[in-house]
Amino acid sequence: MDFEQNSQEASAKTFFEENAGEIKKWKDEEFRKIRLALFNILEDTEEARKEAVREKNRTLTMLNNLTDGILVLDSSHRIELINPLAEAFFKKDKKEFLGKNIFKISSPRFILTPFFQALKSGKRGKIKNILQKEVRLGEKIFVEVSTVFLGEENESKGVLIILHDVSRDKLVETMKTEFVSIAAHQLRTPLSAIKWTIRMLLDGDIGAISEDQKSLLEKTYESNERMIGLINDLLNVTRIEEGRFLYKPEISQIEDLTDKIIKNSEGPLAMKKIKIKLEKPRELLPSVLVDEEKMGLAIQNLLENAIKYTSEKGLITVSLQKEKNYILFKIKDTGVGIPLDQQDRIFTKFFRGSNVVKMETDGSGLGLYTTKNIIEAHNGKIWFESEEGKGTLFCFTLPIFDKNN
Amino acid sequence: MKILLMEDDKLLRSLLVKKLTSAGYEMIAACDGQEGLELMRSDSPQLILLDIIMPRKSGFEVIKEMKKDENLKDIPIIIVSNSGQPVEIGKAKEMGVKDWIIKTEFSTQDVLDKVRKIETEISN
Repeated sequence: MDFEQNSQEASAKTFFEENAGEIKKWKDEEFRKIRLALFNILEDTEEARKEAVREKNRTLTMLNNLTDGILVLDSSHRIELINPLAEAFFKKDKKEFLGKNIFKISSPRFILTPFFQALKSGKRGKIKNILQKEVRLGEKIFVEVSTVFLGEENESKGVLIILHDVSRDKLVETMKTEFVSIAAHQLRTPLSAIKWTIRMLLDGDIGAISEDQKSLLEKTYESNERMIGLINDLLNVTRIEEGRFLYKPEISQIEDLTDKIIKNSEGPLAMKKIKIKLEKPRELLPSVLVDEEKMGLAIQNLLENAIKYTSEKGLITVSLQKEKNYILFKIKDTGVGIPLDQQDRIFTKFFRGSNVVKMETDGSGLGLYTTKNIIEAHNGKIWFESEEGKGTLFCFTLPIFDKNN
Repeated sequence: MKILLMEDDKLLRSLLVKKLTSAGYEMIAACDGQEGLELMRSDSPQLILLDIIMPRKSGFEVIKEMKKDENLKDIPIIIVSNSGQPVEIGKAKEMGVKDWIIKTEFSTQDVLDKVRKIETEISN
């Protein structure tokens, strides 16, 4: 064995001595290749670094020129990034923010209140969750603060806070409100003066009047009431279009509201000798979340139409029922119906059916438009079926109030 | 009972004064908020009927000033106005206003009824 090993070593030694030149050449070549590969890697790295710098600059330029203020926090709520607009909102230099924990930022902390509330609420979306809240800064500046939680629920990757200036929107909103308010005032003042005067004359407050005078004054009073109604309709439309029509949603019973509206219409119903039938289940229907005043107006518009367009001694059937997760309201009349070729325009603003225009009824063409908007603002749906000369059925749905939602 | 009415429309003012005077109330009337506040201090009315949109001082400005004044802050107020957006009514109720009457929806008789109701409340 020993002999064999010694002889192998000896022959390897001889081999290296004999080929020393070739081996050196081969080694040099290998070194050259390795050096080249290293250079290539270095070059690529440098290129990647430059690309990263370019990318960073591009992102920073974008962030710096955004029309929103941006704050980025890492997972331990240290401020990683703040753009110039956010600096402007805080009226502080970014040096006072970067690397600091957001909880240690002194005034003006109230800008961050919505963020703190969002954090406290513990609400986290699966990917992101935007929580918005307006903050009033100074006299005329409103900022909408959105908080976006980055990363999955159990693996926070930080938070993005977006500060969006909504001052202009607010200003326009205020101007519109003021306009409506002034228009209402200007139009309603003379009408109320007419109303009050006629009412007092009719009530005998100013002295006795003859039957003829009374009859004429009553007609004038009615005309004036129609004018008031028309202005109210116009104001409602303005409010709908401003998107601030719903004011106070409350948990309510739809049957109570329906009863009330029907009761209010007893006069006109009796005048035309129209029978009204209310069908509802024996057991109490589930509650709904509605703005009672507006929902009352929606039901009233439907009932008024049914009365207006049903001839004497007709029948109106109102029914309430519970379906899966909503209440279904139906109102069916034996009236003039809606001509087939006009049915697609029924909910359009100012639209009135050609057959009803010919009748002696007045109307603004705003009732169904308003009703549809009210129902949809309550997350409901409205539709109808109608045949000219036979009658119309209007249906709408309202989601059942779910206290867990 | 002495009632102060603040209303800038002359006709509406005279109609209300007539209605309430014939019902036995003592009426004083102002045609804007500023005059109203002066009359409030000199004549000590027991109830205020207040319009909202008025020259010099609006109804809301009047309420704010009344709330700051120890002698005026508890006088009951009924708003008789033609503005009447739910937001405004909500705001007024928060400020302690007793009632809000929209002129086109009511008559002078309705105003009288509300005044009588509040009079009963005060005397109880």
